Amino acid sequence: MKVFLDLAWFFKERKWHYGLGIVMLLFVAFLSIISPRIIGEVVDAINEERLTPELLLQWLGLLAGAAVLMYILRYYWRMMIFGSAILLARRMRQTLFTHFSRMSPAFYQKRRVGDLMAHATNDLSAVQQTAGAGVLTLVDSLATGGFVIAAMAITINWKLTLIALLPMPLMVLSTSYYGRLLHKRFRFAQEAFSDLNDKSQESISGIKVIKTFGQEQEDTEDFKRLSQDVVDKNVHVAKVDSLFDPTISLIVGACFFLAISFGTQFILSEEMTIGDLVAFNTYLGLLVWPMLAFGWLFNIVERGRASYDRIQQLLSEPVDIDDRVGALEMKPEGKVTFAIDSFSFPGDERKALQNVHFTLDRGQTLGIVGRTGSGKTAILKLLLREFEGYEGHITYGQHDIRDYKKESLLEAIGYVPQDHFLFSTTIGLNVAFTNVKATQEEIERATKLAAIHDDITRFTEGYNTIVGERGVSLSGGQKQRISIARALMMQPELLILDDSLSAVDAKTEEAILEALKAERSDETTIITSHRLSAIQHAHQIIVMENGTIKEKGTHDELMALEGTYYEMYQLQQLESLVEQGGDHNG
Amino acid sequence: MDDKMPKLTGKMQWQVLKRLLRYLIPHKKMMIIALVLLTLTVIGDLVGPYLIKIYIDDYLTLGYFPQSAIIALAAAYIFIQVSNVIISYFQLMTFQKLALKIIQTMRIDVFTKVQGLGMRYFDRTPAGSIVSRVTNDTEAIKDMFVSVLVGFVQSGFLVIGVYIAMFLINPQLALIATLLLPILGFIIYTYRKHSSVVYQDLRERLSQLNAKLAESLAGMGMIQAFRQEKRLRDEFSEINDKHFKAGRRNIKLDSLLLRPAIDLVYALAIILVLSYFGVTSFSNPVEVGVIYVFVTYIDRFFEPINQVMQRLSIFQQAIVAASRVFTLMDEKDMAPAQNDQPNAKIEQGKIEFRNLTFSYDGRQDVLKNISFTAEPGQTVALVGHTGSGKSSIINLLMRFYEYNNGDILIDGHSLKDFPMNELRKKMGLVLQDPFLFYGDIESNIRLHDKEMTSAQVRAAAEFVQADNFIEKLPERYQQKVTERGSTFSSGQRQLVAFARTMATDPKILILDEATANIDTETEVAIQTSLEKMRKGRTTIAIAHRLSTIQDAELILVLHQGEIVERGTHQELIRQKGLYHKMYQLQNGIVEEQMS
Repeated sequence: MKVFLDLAWFFKERKWHYGLGIVMLLFVAFLSIISPRIIGEVVDAINEERLTPELLLQWLGLLAGAAVLMYILRYYWRMMIFGSAILLARRMRQTLFTHFSRMSPAFYQKRRVGDLMAHATNDLSAVQQTAGAGVLTLVDSLATGGFVIAAMAITINWKLTLIALLPMPLMVLSTSYYGRLLHKRFRFAQEAFSDLNDKSQESISGIKVIKTFGQEQEDTEDFKRLSQDVVDKNVHVAKVDSLFDPTISLIVGACFFLAISFGTQFILSEEMTIGDLVAFNTYLGLLVWPMLAFGWLFNIVERGRASYDRIQQLLSEPVDIDDRVGALEMKPEGKVTFAIDSFSFPGDERKALQNVHFTLDRGQTLGIVGRTGSGKTAILKLLLREFEGYEGHITYGQHDIRDYKKESLLEAIGYVPQDHFLFSTTIGLNVAFTNVKATQEEIERATKLAAIHDDITRFTEGYNTIVGERGVSLSGGQKQRISIARALMMQPELLILDDSLSAVDAKTEEAILEALKAERSDETTIITSHRLSAIQHAHQIIVMENGTIKEKGTHDELMALEGTYYEMYQLQQLESLVEQGGDHNG
Repeated sequence: MDDKMPKLTGKMQWQVLKRLLRYLIPHKKMMIIALVLLTLTVIGDLVGPYLIKIYIDDYLTLGYFPQSAIIALAAAYIFIQVSNVIISYFQLMTFQKLALKIIQTMRIDVFTKVQGLGMRYFDRTPAGSIVSRVTNDTEAIKDMFVSVLVGFVQSGFLVIGVYIAMFLINPQLALIATLLLPILGFIIYTYRKHSSVVYQDLRERLSQLNAKLAESLAGMGMIQAFRQEKRLRDEFSEINDKHFKAGRRNIKLDSLLLRPAIDLVYALAIILVLSYFGVTSFSNPVEVGVIYVFVTYIDRFFEPINQVMQRLSIFQQAIVAASRVFTLMDEKDMAPAQNDQPNAKIEQGKIEFRNLTFSYDGRQDVLKNISFTAEPGQTVALVGHTGSGKSSIINLLMRFYEYNNGDILIDGHSLKDFPMNELRKKMGLVLQDPFLFYGDIESNIRLHDKEMTSAQVRAAAEFVQADNFIEKLPERYQQKVTERGSTFSSGQRQLVAFARTMATDPKILILDEATANIDTETEVAIQTSLEKMRKGRTTIAIAHRLSTIQDAELILVLHQGEIVERGTHQELIRQKGLYHKMYQLQNGIVEEQMS
């Protein structure tokens, strides 16, 4: 029940809704004891032959009135309590989302998207259950149960009540026991199901191997075995699940039996009437639900607490990259000085960067080349302040980048990542990502610079073409160029292209580079690339190897050096020749 | 697109349901048992209150208690209660088992179907969505069978039982009670009509919400780099809000038309019964027990109706899921079929491509007029850069795709004249990206071949020199292989895949050389194994490293689906064409790696 305390802040906030809802719930519980009483009265009146049309009309009118009132109240308490519960879910979902949006890449490296999703879906719905059905069952089972028992004891016969209710606690115990058992077995069934799921996933991913070895039938046999396991585990669940109804009817039957046999005694000793007995039995029927609910309550609350704790734990994860007190709220501008003595990614002992120093004047272009894992991307990630905790400093303009507000720093940087991530919306909105209100002219200016405008207009829906799984499938090069246009949209002070031209053919690459050169003569650009043609024109080129700078200079200087850069250049010349199918003349 | 909810018309829904119910036919016997048990429980449910009625009317009201009769009555009541409990347990179990069996059959059907589909289908359908058909959608159907259909049948029986009992006791009142049916029917109809809209809307909002969340989590890096957190939060908030409003509408509908409404009808029923007996009592005496039994029956009558109403939405979802499953089952893109009664055998292993032209989509040819011959025991190497058509040649040779222009012959017979089994047994393919299955090393070499002995597994591993690394593993051949073998290096995976192929001792070997970086030690092992494997077998090899195929009898250089150069290594080098360029390039890389 601790979870109700945990949720107290919400109940307090919605005190009117919960308060009114509970009052109505109590009222309904009270009204529901009227109808058995009336049945009893009518039965007695008929039995004693004293029923008059007026009396009958009076009773039935009361019954009808109560029924209509109950309908109205039942409608409203549901809206109050269940409505509040989904409000809670909405609120917590938003809080979680906000929290997610503030967490740094280090957080996302540690956790899988699937797990985070599970918290935002399954755990939230368990909490919602607690705040809705949990509150309902708690109040209703106590109230209805209490009222009904009181009505039985006070208006009919307390001795009979005591006797007839003897088996009832068994119901609470058994349903709560079954519930727990069911939960456990259900988990096994879920595991079996997830094995089956994994199996299907594997068979479909490995379909080529299966076909190669002609193992379709054998694999299907294996699938059958696992699906049998699913059946077995589910039968196991069914064995407990099927106990609920029979147990309830057994216990209720026992109560009825006790009520009738002992009721007879009391009727004979004239302590009660036959109508009382009929009413009494109807009351017994009304008790089934609260008892059942009480059994469930424990399970709902148990699950709700575990889920609430998991969500809270997630929310208590601190934001690791935050602005300093009094951080500068100005867009940086000017020279970039990168002076890192040493940096490792969190949780990795290897040095990602070591002694990397360079200065980049405003308006210059820096080219970074090197193999995968040589530290190119690490440099960019530090510039973007995705990671901190390095030895050394990076300054942009007059100040260390950590002295700016992160927001202000990023305002200056247009970043095109390696893994071009596009959102499943229109191309236009993907380009206008930083400014959804941008005009078509502004968007087209960016797409023309990125040499993608013509491609887009060739789609039937043009700029309104939806990207992603449910839309058109774009080639790698098209995605890269859209990503570039997206970054150019914000006319960044510092443009970073992280190997973003790799899937673009040589001619287009040249067009884009020319356009950038013309357009961005006053702004700074950093390009990393495997392909040297993309950085050949840069004012400054650094060659990275194992996290450190191997060579540094302009293209001509590096060529003259006849070192790594020179070798790479020669090879790539040859490579491009092969890609074009070679010149057949030799 | 596959995962979007198709809009189903009423007629289509009915057809889907009919097709679903056909799965019951093989389980006729079990179903009859379940229905008999159900009938017994319903009778038990109805007789209990009737016994109480007899007791009230014949003894209690009269104050007459003959011992033997009372004991008999009590004994009968207890007996019926207890046996009813037992029977209803078995009845519930039988129904659940029935539902589970049906779903199992269905799952196996879908899976078998998937196994028989052509590669073309897998190319255009995301793996996730196929998996979803096999497991999640069938699971949704299971929920429907267990909680809705079984509930329907149970309620239906109970409702009919109650009516029969009421007719037997008092036909007139029973007739009056029939008035309730149209009211209930109207409520169910109205609820169904609105809920299919409201509930569907809620489902869609939920999936939008989850999609937005998943996408935002995956693209968080981008969102943060472009400082769009606030906008995304607002967008999420908007979707969250719409979901909330849909949720409210759903609660509203449920509150208006589900339990509260049914309870209102229940009160009406009680009023009906009481006024009937009340009015009757003005002219005739009324037995009190009859009132009791009617009130109890009405209680019983409403219980299952409430339950079924609560679950109508599951029904809706299951029908949609079922229609998706059936769409997959009706898929026509099957794996290539062999000619009728194929009986050719692979004896020598001579492979011949004759004027083969091929296209995946029927528009753009990826192979143009390919002809070459690999004599038994020879090695033919395919080189060329990505998209040149090397893999397509292998795909056709492996019969993953159907071809119509030109032919492929093995030992003089068309590939289509061999039984599939013969092809699979005599041709071994090693894929570029060796796929390891969940299990252990041994099971990955043996695959599903139960007749292969452990000694054979070991021999295969030794043959390809995979034993060197396997023997060093703590559990050796029983070492666990997790999802896709991610704990092994790509070289080790490659060796296991070699062993897997060698274990079947194929006549023809087809190699798609790995491009991934492999550590030098394993690389040496792989090269020696490859040489051993090729000995005495006709081999078609895709080579990325030209150094590995210098001894090939024939090298084919492919460019844009055509063979542009052919010959031995020496001949091609002398030609100074594309091959020569590639060779230079690769040697350059080798030199650089050494430096």
